[in-house]
Amino acid sequence: MADQPQAAAGRPPRSIDPVRRSIALTFGAALLLFLIGGVIQPGFLRPTNVFSVLVVASFIGFVAAGQSLVILTGGIDLSVAWVINAGGVMLTSLAAGSDLSAAWVVPATLCMGLGVGLANSLGIVFLEVPPVVMTLGMNGIMQGLVLGLTNGFTSSSAKAYAPRVVSQAVNGVLPGGVPVDLLLWTAVAAALWVVLSRLTFGRWIYALGNNPVAAYLAGGHTRRITVLVYMLAGGFSAFTGIILAGYAGQATLGAGDPYLFASIAAVVIGGTSILGGRGHYFGTIAGAMILTVLTDVLTLMSIPEAGRSILYGLAILAALLIYGRQPEDV
Amino acid sequence: MSAPAARPAAGDRFRRYALRNASLLLSYLVLTVMGLYYVGYAAGHGQLSVFSVTSVFNNTMPLLVAAIGQTMVVLTGGIDLSVGSIISLSNSLAAVHMQDSAGSVLAWSGLILLIGAAAGAANGALVAVGRIQPILVTLASLSVWAGVALFVLPQPGGAIPPGFTALLAGNAWQIVPASAVVLGALIVFWIVFRRTGLAVALYAVGNDERSARANGVPVAAAKIAAYTLSGLFAALAGLYLSAVTTSGDATTGAVYTLTSIAAVVLGGVSLFGGRGSATGSMAGAFVLTLIVNILFFANINPLLQEFFQGLVLILAMAASVLVNVVLGRTG
Amino acid sequence: MPRIEAIDVSKSFGGVHALQEASFEADGGEVHALVGENGAGKSTLIKILSGLLRPDDGQLRVDGQAARIDRPAAAQRLGIGTVFQELTLLPHMTVAENLLLRREPRDRFGLIRPRELARQAAELLAGLGLREIDADGVMSGLPLAQRQLVEIAKVVSRAPRILLFDEPTSALAEREVMWLMALIRRLRDEGRTVVFTSHRWNEVHDISDRITIFRNGQRVGTFAAADVDENRAVELMTGRHMSALFPPLPPLGAPEPVLEVRGLASGRVQDLGLTLHRGEILGIGGLQGQGQRDLFLSLFGARRLRAGTIAIHGRRVALRHPRDAIGAGIGIALVPEDRKVEGLFLPMSVRQNMTLPVLGALSRLGYVDLRRETDTVGRMIDQLAIRTTGPDQIVGALSGGNQQKVLIGRWLVTNARILLLYDVTRGVDVATKHDIYDLVTALSADGRAILYYSSDTAEMAHLCHRVLVMREGRAATELRGHEITADALVRASLRLGGEVPA
Repeated sequence: MADQPQAAAGRPPRSIDPVRRSIALTFGAALLLFLIGGVIQPGFLRPTNVFSVLVVASFIGFVAAGQSLVILTGGIDLSVAWVINAGGVMLTSLAAGSDLSAAWVVPATLCMGLGVGLANSLGIVFLEVPPVVMTLGMNGIMQGLVLGLTNGFTSSSAKAYAPRVVSQAVNGVLPGGVPVDLLLWTAVAAALWVVLSRLTFGRWIYALGNNPVAAYLAGGHTRRITVLVYMLAGGFSAFTGIILAGYAGQATLGAGDPYLFASIAAVVIGGTSILGGRGHYFGTIAGAMILTVLTDVLTLMSIPEAGRSILYGLAILAALLIYGRQPEDV
Repeated sequence: MSAPAARPAAGDRFRRYALRNASLLLSYLVLTVMGLYYVGYAAGHGQLSVFSVTSVFNNTMPLLVAAIGQTMVVLTGGIDLSVGSIISLSNSLAAVHMQDSAGSVLAWSGLILLIGAAAGAANGALVAVGRIQPILVTLASLSVWAGVALFVLPQPGGAIPPGFTALLAGNAWQIVPASAVVLGALIVFWIVFRRTGLAVALYAVGNDERSARANGVPVAAAKIAAYTLSGLFAALAGLYLSAVTTSGDATTGAVYTLTSIAAVVLGGVSLFGGRGSATGSMAGAFVLTLIVNILFFANINPLLQEFFQGLVLILAMAASVLVNVVLGRTG
Repeated sequence: MPRIEAIDVSKSFGGVHALQEASFEADGGEVHALVGENGAGKSTLIKILSGLLRPDDGQLRVDGQAARIDRPAAAQRLGIGTVFQELTLLPHMTVAENLLLRREPRDRFGLIRPRELARQAAELLAGLGLREIDADGVMSGLPLAQRQLVEIAKVVSRAPRILLFDEPTSALAEREVMWLMALIRRLRDEGRTVVFTSHRWNEVHDISDRITIFRNGQRVGTFAAADVDENRAVELMTGRHMSALFPPLPPLGAPEPVLEVRGLASGRVQDLGLTLHRGEILGIGGLQGQGQRDLFLSLFGARRLRAGTIAIHGRRVALRHPRDAIGAGIGIALVPEDRKVEGLFLPMSVRQNMTLPVLGALSRLGYVDLRRETDTVGRMIDQLAIRTTGPDQIVGALSGGNQQKVLIGRWLVTNARILLLYDVTRGVDVATKHDIYDLVTALSADGRAILYYSSDTAEMAHLCHRVLVMREGRAATELRGHEITADALVRASLRLGGEVPA
């Protein structure tokens, strides 16, 4: 009967609340990890240290911003690693340390990222290549291009220093001790909040991820949304490459490699469904924090890399068991 | 009700087989073309010898074996990202523990395979019973097993008994690569396996999990079996890698995760599950290795190797989709 | 002692009671029909008896013993075979592999023998009189009707003692229906129990020994087939007298063509023409799979046309994307078949579901104007009497009927004057269904042009001014006014080939 909808025995209504709940849980876990760090090493909770941990987390956060959008639409981007590397190399080799050149090289590098994303999406939309394959192949293509053009990362251009203006942007600190990088992260977070919660584009992203057929039948231009989303992901990856080069002062071979799995893990731990349609960037932020703090705490506990890797994986599994489970087939 | 369907003529039956296995045949075609290119180039450079052919086989085998395991999982509609780590673990354990005696080789080989299978079974249980998406489970376990591998062998080193190497990577009767013999055995294995109830269950789950369950197919058990087999083959691939490289390195397997997926895709196996054959994945593995070799002979910068592998992957997938569309079916 | 029984079984889905202490029993050597409206609980009961669903409460018995049917394999072991409405066939495997799934012939090593498999499958099909189905064909290549036959063959060949059929004839043409009826009679004579559900009274009456009527998740009566006629059955099924089931149709004024279709070819539609008039409710009838769905999708720009033209108020329109249809002339809207699969975004809120097509109008520079949206959504919630806690409630938490109203609401918000309604009362409770009937007639009175398809022929018979019955992709028969009866519709659907003068 069409009475007031009541919850059937024992089953809570399926709602966004699980996402909010998992975001809250994730932030809570991040906080817990910070506290554990503080217990293990006095001084861990000093503002300067907390800030530096957050700066490292922001790197995951930047990549994961694009990855969040892509995963929300039901896709995935496995090309982030080498787009990051390409971004770093492009910055250092084209700008050759010159601040003036940075003015055009930075936008150009971002365009490179957008271009790679465009290529990814065209393959997915028009060639009907599944995202896993398309982005995987693109990763290889970028790897080959970067290694080939820099002679295996040994060319002088690859070894150039990042322009100082970029390094300062990443490593600089505002009065009060807040790193500029965190300001950037806040800006990114704000932008993503606007997109996902306030823009029509954001609604279509969720619709597409949740039910592509229904999105199409509701009049959605599903192709355009897909293209835009992958372009943004490519852009964010290139951006991260720039940031990493600025942070280290140089482009490093393989700088982007850990970020493939880290970005996916951050997105998923943050409560976004890998199948798309549910989740938010705030969760991803919390996920990035957890991954970074966890690594830090494990290092503090003098656990060797082997142990860190094991515990890292177990932690992700624990998070998945708590809220990554698919509902049972009714 | 009406007239019986006429028994189709042989030509008709072949056409039907070709239509149904279009992607697989395409992968064989690509392999043949690549093979011919390779032979052409190699002969032209005076490089066509028992040694070089054996090398090609040896270099392909680890990937090929891993791709067989990956096929099992992909057939059920899943994916296994932990393949690389299990290979690393297998290699590390072998390098540290395998002694130069038949007994040790046998015992440790068996133990390593068992460990791989157990790791796979854990993955399978989390997917089937825990109901967590495969990409996420195997992403996490990738990290766990990579750590264990590093724990076993913190620095590259160790030693693999030469006898083991000779067995898997040497030559039988002077000319035939031992790898080719193993390859033959694997092909036979697949032909037999394809006709088991377990294989049918894997295909059924990949076709339509809901329907499979409604027909009484033990879906959870099938999935666990798929991942267990993947772990087992990954461990075997690690043993092969040990024989070929003759030493250990706890990070050596990482690259095999994504290349095993590439090999499976190149082999015409559908990422959505339910369609494809491990023989295609084997062909795909060879294609990937041959690309590298052909590039070498064609004097193309070896650093561009991944570029071509990535390009071939995308083009092969696009071709497969195109072929299916032309044949009037949806991918 | 009954062979199979359900005693006081209850089952709810997210707040909707599909079955409320429902009971049912069937004997050996009997053909027992289960009838009731969409949403009365017949399908749910079948799913529970077959092990696909577990009841929240109540008991199941087989041969007098309590039975735990907690999964399909358990049901099969108890000798229960089920042919579901949603076929359980594996699309990329052959007919033979599907038929003998889990029963493949093996050699002495336990390996499957492929050639023997194909031979046995062909023999099985021949034995059932289905020789024209090719055992080596891939399932996905077969037309829907043949797939339904294969599903039936698969289940029957397992020789279950109890057979459950859920709407087995929805896609079958006359010849195939007769085949099935003969098969059912044979199964009964062999002493098996056959339980089936159907919307077609003639079939139900001809072949059943007993008929059980369900309403609102409960049994309202079990009768010997001879003891109940259609009128009485309908009264029991709906709780209303036949004449009070549907609202009166608004009269049509002078015909004013709004939508003209000529020579449409797309998907299964071969060559279709129709004219839809202002205020008219035009039904599209026919068996499942005759092209109705492709027609609706094509008229909405969701399917490419191979040939043909579509014109609104005399002006040709090119519909290449649903967005084109929404904006074409006076606006076309499609309420699709399966709201969960094609319509709604269950984890999203009522407001988000309802305003997607018109988001552009409700936003500035891409930024959604939440206040205007709340107004629009609020008005629609009131107009359609949707039971929800507000525009921000998650649609997944609503009952099926209210979910359907949200979906309809989405399209009413677009102010489209041409509405394509595809099976909008499916899986919807009785009260909501009547709300929808009232709404449809009100929209017609408002001058909107409505194309209507329903799997329930009685519904089409009472709710349409005119009906076009589709056969093999063409509009084969047209029925007007008092010619439209459920009986006439079924008869027109079943005939294959050849037109019958209207």
